[in-house]
Amino acid sequence: MAILSTTQRGATGDEPDFKRDNRERRRRIAIQKWGPGYLLVLPAVVLIVAMMLYPLIQTLIFSVSNVQLPLLTPVFTGFANFLAVFKDPNTGPLVLRTLEWVVGTVALRFVLGFLAAIIFNAKVRGTVWMRVLVVLPWMVPSVVAANLWRWVLQSDNGILNETLKSWGVPSSALVDWLGNPHTVLGAVIVAYSWAGFPFVMLLILAGMQGISEEQYEAAKMDGANWWQLFRYITVPAIRPVLIISLILEIVSAVNSFDTIEVLTGGGPANASQIWSIGIYNTGFQSYNFGGASAMSVLMFVIAIVLFAIYGIANRRNARLERGEAR
Amino acid sequence: MTQAITTAGTGPVTRSDGHRERRSRRTRRVWLHVLVYGSALLFVVFSVAPILWGLSTALKPSKDQYQFPPQWIPKTITLEHFAAVFSNQAIIHAFLNTLVISISTTFIALLVGILGAYGFSRYRFPGRGTLLVSVLFTQLFPRVVVIVPFFITLRNLNLINTLPGLVLVYLMVVFPIAIWMIKGFFDRIPREIEEAAIVDGCSIPRLLWTIVLPMSRPALVAVGMYSFILAFNEFLFALVFTSGTQSQPLSVALAFFIDDVGIHWGDLMAASLLMSVPAIVVFSFAQKLLVRGLSEGAVKG
Repeated sequence: MAILSTTQRGATGDEPDFKRDNRERRRRIAIQKWGPGYLLVLPAVVLIVAMMLYPLIQTLIFSVSNVQLPLLTPVFTGFANFLAVFKDPNTGPLVLRTLEWVVGTVALRFVLGFLAAIIFNAKVRGTVWMRVLVVLPWMVPSVVAANLWRWVLQSDNGILNETLKSWGVPSSALVDWLGNPHTVLGAVIVAYSWAGFPFVMLLILAGMQGISEEQYEAAKMDGANWWQLFRYITVPAIRPVLIISLILEIVSAVNSFDTIEVLTGGGPANASQIWSIGIYNTGFQSYNFGGASAMSVLMFVIAIVLFAIYGIANRRNARLERGEAR
Repeated sequence: MTQAITTAGTGPVTRSDGHRERRSRRTRRVWLHVLVYGSALLFVVFSVAPILWGLSTALKPSKDQYQFPPQWIPKTITLEHFAAVFSNQAIIHAFLNTLVISISTTFIALLVGILGAYGFSRYRFPGRGTLLVSVLFTQLFPRVVVIVPFFITLRNLNLINTLPGLVLVYLMVVFPIAIWMIKGFFDRIPREIEEAAIVDGCSIPRLLWTIVLPMSRPALVAVGMYSFILAFNEFLFALVFTSGTQSQPLSVALAFFIDDVGIHWGDLMAASLLMSVPAIVVFSFAQKLLVRGLSEGAVKG
């Protein structure tokens, strides 16, 4: 490098040979230095281009086209698909429902995960086996989780209603949880949160276990109570983990599909349909590929916004950590 | 971990006076333990009840399934539902499909992941940051957004309803997380040995094969198992890109497990529990490694 910069300084306008030499040497060094790196990541880059970039461009094209079966050749139609989405009277409720879904599942998963982390971090004897059991829902495949809850929530002989009945709740007060438009979204939110809260718990627990015992001991010596320990030692220490797991949960709530599709398919009467299910139904139930693509583009914009927020939070955390390393 | 913040936070703690609470500390401790134990138990019940109910259903004869009051512990235990699952041609076929798809996907994803992770971990080439971010984005962005173009591309390639087609699209589910996790492990391996080997004229493939891979074997096994589980459990792509039973994986088969007499809940629960076994085994063995890897991929992105 030192050699390079001295020759560079010596190279003026009337010495083109030096300059070319210089450039060539630099290129050779670059190839030597970075070539293997590029080669190694090439397969991954091919996959990214083929599986993300190209499909996204296709989605953009389809969203301004009319894609007709059976040939599926896109015919340009301008913004007709988007206009149709905006004019559709179902779009407003769909957006609202998606928001309810995201807020409901994230809040429930986060509160449950945080509470469970606090409880299992308390190091009370005999809780280790319980922690193992609590993590089970996270390990179960999403389709299985949905099937288990479908069976629990059955209207006539599901265990939930049977238990309520055996507690003396009159059968007139029992609800068909998945068949009633008023309860279906709540029921699906509970099922989805069940499957997800252990991951939040594990992330937060990992963060909590990184806090040194000495900090607590020192504060206890000074007479701090548990709330003060929690508020002034635990929470600040795990704040980066909290923020990131919150964002990750929002992302996965927006992206989620499996649980709702298996439990209800978005029904009854669209009462549990969220945006992702809407895309699937528009594309593969009504075979309106253009409309589904327009909805996809809108969803993609949201995804980019979320991803940007995630990136900013990550960078801030990294800066925090670097600051502490000093 | 967060020295800077917590020292700032201890200010108010020192000011609080704790001595008057000291006398009842013992009884409070007992109560606290009871409270913790009780709430932990509540979480266990919430987590385990649906699974136990499924297990109970899978183990009792069909006629007992609709008993009132509900029988949590079956009066007569039967394995007929498990036997029915194993003699169900459609389910076995779907299971074999899933096995083929998951193993192929895992293999390719590990290959791409090892190469890519090594490249990202050891070389600081221009564009590296952008590429890493795109890998992460591929993992986090909503896959439902690309089902229409994937469908059309697969159709044009005559790969709809085929196992190779599914392997191709499943790669997208698996390879980003594989790269991230493996990169996390490679970053932790000291470079000195490799540098010495390079000076001795060792080529990069040989370097990978003889030095780096053996050193990270446990991590690679964990990532491989996790990739396998991701593919094993995948549902959205399986649903969209298959129709009929020919190439249908287990996840779709179990999601719409119904015939003309309705749903056989005993069989469905038995099959569902069996489907959970690989994931539960993998997560129990590699949980620590996985949570660390996942949170590193995700948290330190």
